Amino acid sequence: MRFLLVLAIGILCLFTSSSYAQQPAAAPTTGTIKGIVRDTVHNYVLKSATVSLYRADSSVLNYQLSNNYGEFKFTNVPIGQILRIDISNVGYQTFRQKITIPKGQSMLDLKTLVINPRTDTLKEVVINIPPITYNNDTLEINAAAFKLDSNATVEDLLKKVPNITVWGDGIITVNGKEVKSLLVNGKQFFDGDNKVTLQNIPKNALEKIQIFNNADRNNPLDSNLVANLKLKKGKDRSYFGKIGFGYGTNNHYQIDGNINLTTPKLQLSVIGATNDVNKTPNDINTLVRNSTFKGVGTSIEYQPDFRQTGINKGTVAGAKMNYNFTPDSKEWNNKSSLSADYYFKNIESNNTGKNQSITTLSTNNKLFSFSENASVNNSESHRLNSQFNYYKKNHQLDISETFNTDNSSSIQTNIRNASDNNNQITSTNNGSSTNNSDNQNFNLRANYSYNNYNNWKQRFKGIDVGYNLSMNNRNTDRNEITAFRDLLTPTLNRDFNRNYQTNVKSFNQNINLTLRDLKSLFFGNKNLSNFNAELSAKLDLDNNKNNNQVQDLNGSTYQANNYLSNNLQTNQTVFTPGVSISKNFSKNLSNRYNKSLRIKLTAAQQLSYQDNKSIKGFQNINRNYNNFVPNASISYSNYQYGTHQTSISLNYNTQITIPTVNQLAPLTDSTNLYNLQRGNINLVEAKTKSLNLNLYRYDMRNKNTLNFNANASIGLIEDAIIDSSFIDARNRRNNYLANANGSKYARLYGDIRKSLKFKSAELKFGYTTNFNINRTPNYLNGVFNFSTNTSTENKISTNFTFKDKFALEGTQSIATSSSKQQTLNTTYKNTTLTSGLSANYNFTKKFSLNSNISFNNNNPSVGETINFTIWNAEANYRFTKGNNAEIKLSALDLLKQNRAIFNYAGTNTFTTSTRNVLQQYFMVTLSYYPRKFGKATPVKK
Amino acid sequence: MPLKQIIPLFLFILCYTQVFSQAKVDSTDMVTLRIDPQSARGAAVSQVFDEVKFIPLETTKESLFGNIAQLKIAGNKYIIYDYDTRSILLFSDEGKYISKIDATKLQTDKEDKEKAQSYGFRTVNEEGKDYIIIFTGNNVQYFTMDGKFIKKVKNYSYSDEIAMSNGNILAKLGMYIKKGKDSTFYKLNIINKIKKDTVGYFKFDTKLYETDDWYGDGGISQYAPNEAFWSTFYDYNLFKITPEKVSLAYKFILPAINTLPKDFLTNPIYVKKRFDYFEKNKKIIHGLGKSYLLGDNLYLRFSNIFWDKDQKKNLIYNIKTSELLSFQDLEPDSLSSFLPITDSGFGYDFENRGFLAFEDGKFYTSYSSLAMFAFKERSADKAVKYPPLLENYFKTGNRKSNPVLVVFKPKTK
Repeated sequence: MRFLLVLAIGILCLFTSSSYAQQPAAAPTTGTIKGIVRDTVHNYVLKSATVSLYRADSSVLNYQLSNNYGEFKFTNVPIGQILRIDISNVGYQTFRQKITIPKGQSMLDLKTLVINPRTDTLKEVVINIPPITYNNDTLEINAAAFKLDSNATVEDLLKKVPNITVWGDGIITVNGKEVKSLLVNGKQFFDGDNKVTLQNIPKNALEKIQIFNNADRNNPLDSNLVANLKLKKGKDRSYFGKIGFGYGTNNHYQIDGNINLTTPKLQLSVIGATNDVNKTPNDINTLVRNSTFKGVGTSIEYQPDFRQTGINKGTVAGAKMNYNFTPDSKEWNNKSSLSADYYFKNIESNNTGKNQSITTLSTNNKLFSFSENASVNNSESHRLNSQFNYYKKNHQLDISETFNTDNSSSIQTNIRNASDNNNQITSTNNGSSTNNSDNQNFNLRANYSYNNYNNWKQRFKGIDVGYNLSMNNRNTDRNEITAFRDLLTPTLNRDFNRNYQTNVKSFNQNINLTLRDLKSLFFGNKNLSNFNAELSAKLDLDNNKNNNQVQDLNGSTYQANNYLSNNLQTNQTVFTPGVSISKNFSKNLSNRYNKSLRIKLTAAQQLSYQDNKSIKGFQNINRNYNNFVPNASISYSNYQYGTHQTSISLNYNTQITIPTVNQLAPLTDSTNLYNLQRGNINLVEAKTKSLNLNLYRYDMRNKNTLNFNANASIGLIEDAIIDSSFIDARNRRNNYLANANGSKYARLYGDIRKSLKFKSAELKFGYTTNFNINRTPNYLNGVFNFSTNTSTENKISTNFTFKDKFALEGTQSIATSSSKQQTLNTTYKNTTLTSGLSANYNFTKKFSLNSNISFNNNNPSVGETINFTIWNAEANYRFTKGNNAEIKLSALDLLKQNRAIFNYAGTNTFTTSTRNVLQQYFMVTLSYYPRKFGKATPVKK
Repeated sequence: MPLKQIIPLFLFILCYTQVFSQAKVDSTDMVTLRIDPQSARGAAVSQVFDEVKFIPLETTKESLFGNIAQLKIAGNKYIIYDYDTRSILLFSDEGKYISKIDATKLQTDKEDKEKAQSYGFRTVNEEGKDYIIIFTGNNVQYFTMDGKFIKKVKNYSYSDEIAMSNGNILAKLGMYIKKGKDSTFYKLNIINKIKKDTVGYFKFDTKLYETDDWYGDGGISQYAPNEAFWSTFYDYNLFKITPEKVSLAYKFILPAINTLPKDFLTNPIYVKKRFDYFEKNKKIIHGLGKSYLLGDNLYLRFSNIFWDKDQKKNLIYNIKTSELLSFQDLEPDSLSSFLPITDSGFGYDFENRGFLAFEDGKFYTSYSSLAMFAFKERSADKAVKYPPLLENYFKTGNRKSNPVLVVFKPKTK
């Protein structure tokens, strides 16, 4: 209650203060000051000297760098006030003078101001650090020159620097040019997320911000700005973090904590969170990004995922570290670092759902099925990743490792029934199952490459070697109880109570070898210019062991099911040697453009051998496959200096899919009578030929950029492995497999982004499109059919930001899907419309409001049209001196309309399902963000 | 033979070859100059030059080229070599396009190892006629000054040369001089057509080109009919060539931070590691580029691999007043329509190439239209009335137009 009072007073104060500000000025009160800075000792004007204007109380009024002619010009300077002008430059004594624009005049011309070089004998006492300096192509912003409150962050500082804008989405621009990378003491800071960096480093830990252009010498106009935050000595050891607690209606809760430590070589984060509001990200980076201190920005993010199905309680925890062996090295080819992270995730979820589906057997002959299921799932997983990089001169070594282990258990019950064309129930199937599984996974990747491009005299240019290892062990204990009732023919009734014990072990290895630049190796550096060739070899060795023990309840004891119990071992070797030739064409016109065209042809042969050993004689299959897998690519790039870059590439690919033993000769489990999986011993390998077109444009201009990206692909599958289903009147399905030609697909993805920049606002437009069509052949009850599935998604979005005050985003998307059966003469369609609007307004640095609303409309060709609206609102209030504490009031799904509906069109079925989801709740959250930069911290490496 | 006897004999042989095959450089008039490039001052363009002229080179579909790698002034024509298109282009003194020698149309013979491609050109006068000769990998090809093909010649001496005393004295860079069975390579050679002799200076073992690395500027720069300077890598001396002799004219002493280690040429630790050394010590000046003496002003060019734009490397030193000016501190004024005379600080054409030519008392350089339009934008509030050539160029051209030639005439008094 007290909080609401504070809030109300806060809003009131704000509006009164802003209404004062809106009163119009009575007479012109501002004028212009101009002048020229000159070094008379060296007899030249000073370019990029810092000219600063201070008010009588020594606070900075404005400042700028002198231009190429040594000139400066300030507008909007108050008339009649005593001001001070300071002119400073590296190696010069500071020039200082009191000035006033006389009343009745609007221009003060200071003419030539002489600034004197500093002599070494005369050690000048630094009277005032200029706000900005320009030194060796680097613009330096000196933190000490800005007086901000003692707990201000780097972001607060940047907001005070003219011509630097921190945008709502975290992007920083300097004179309209985007800063491409933000570093701290020359290194990336916790994954290089701008917001984490800007909002956690206190302004008082900062010595200066250095902004420089890292662009290629040949392309001076291209923006490749780097901003480096140089911390004060001793401030490179720090900690910062968060602790937060939230409680809401329906006993909803959330607790999270995070601590990050840095030293010059080491960066370490430890984090944990638990909640029941779907805030359990899948990786540690997203979690860290959303659990550290944030200034009041205009973006709306990290809200509960209302799309997630089920009611979930989650706990996540993790730690990550990064150790840099060469903290001072600036060269890309002299770097070595080790990074590792650990992540734990426990999810307990309760799911309920309903599915309705229609299956078309033939024209005017349809089957309907309905099912309802409920499940409780519990899963716990641990993941450990580590990565080691070693770059030294011509050698590059990358080793990475992932280890995963997870345990999960679930209990599930389901009720199903099937009805015929006349809505008459023909069969029911009630079941329950329990499942316990544990899984261990280990992956190792090692890549080494040797590059010898520096020494052009040497003929041997380089080699790439790669090795991947993947090991997996999975144990599953499963029990299935099924009661199938055939209401037409009771003799077909079936009851099962079956136990499965499965152990799957796999051991896969993959070796790649590429010998590059054969041309120079055999023919020298000078001959056959623009031609090149490479040799490559790929070897895949897979070993899979599958042990399955199945038991059926017979009376009161479980007895082994000798048919389904199995011991299967598969060894597969795939060897792909290849040779490529390529030719480059390039056209270059200095300072104008650089165009290049590359054509590459690869001839490769894929030799595969699959050997299956099983206690079932019919599964003892060994087969050889031998296929020619050619590859061709054409790529074109057009680089126009200072304006834009476009590239186009076209690729032709061949891919072989070898049938697995479970496709050739599976053991058919009769528990799920609605879906019996059969095999086909005569299956041959499928061959996919695909053509892929990529288009890309990158705009390098300062403002009003247009960027796009598009990808289109078409594919043709020869001998595709397709379904041949037999469905009886009780909707029991027997799936056999067959090879067939005529399987085709086409995909298109594209996005276009246009941005318009105004003085203090930015408007962005975005359009994305997604189009998929595929034609899949299948057999249905022996009748050959083509099923054509189409799905499209188009989305436009508009984003408006006004400084760091206000953000508004509107989106509109339309998604359609359809499935058409040629021989069955049926079509299923579905259209989903989603409109969204979100707004954020920062009243003060301490108080902000944001709200978002989305309207959803789901219109299937079968069944009812569903409309629902989700509306969320949030108020944030920061308090304590450093804004380190925060209270947040959130209202989620205010209209209590959240629903989860899925429509799915398969080859001859259309399914609509609904799931239980998180719904309306209100929550109060309290957070505290401790931060400390400097030596007097408990941080010890 | 006892060791005591071998050593004197060895020394004798050494001295013998020294004395007889390498001519002596006169260093009696040597002047030592201490120069700290970073202390150089500025001046207004009009204080240093009498005339500044911008000549935009016409852009048509046919005349479009990259940038100027080589420039030769032939009467009222400019001959330009462009590496991007490998063509030689001819423009009038007003920048009007005349014609070009298309690189793709060079003749290749059946027995040639590679397809003919130009690697540069030179103008020569043979039997009273002027020719443009184009270097290809196979031969040199002769063209008239209008770009018409004449002939192909093999075994042509490619090394750079200048002529003095009405062509009777030639100074030629790196070549072998035969003495009996031996042939020795000299970095600088003076050919006297009247005496019919060739004198070599600065012996050099060409094997070192293979076994070591060499970075440097240097070369011959002729600034008066009978005077030229010569300089070489890893050396801060400026040698003067006159028809009579080769003499050491100026010895420069630079601040320690810019100076090569004393044992740079002799200590084996630098062999094949020279570029690494410069990478680590970017301010070290590795040599002197083409330099000129005009009146009392020495136009000097120091080279290092540091591209920082505050590094002052192109200097004007007054030998009377010892005043030192730097090119990048020259302030554009009305003489240059408030446009810079080089692209320093924006592009790298001047940094990379220095002056493209010195002819008839005028220096030639160039910069891209990308730079020119940026400079115009920067001087937007200067309200300049541009000369007609430039006025028309700003109206009809754009950032993608051909480069602009900049011609300036130094004051000599």
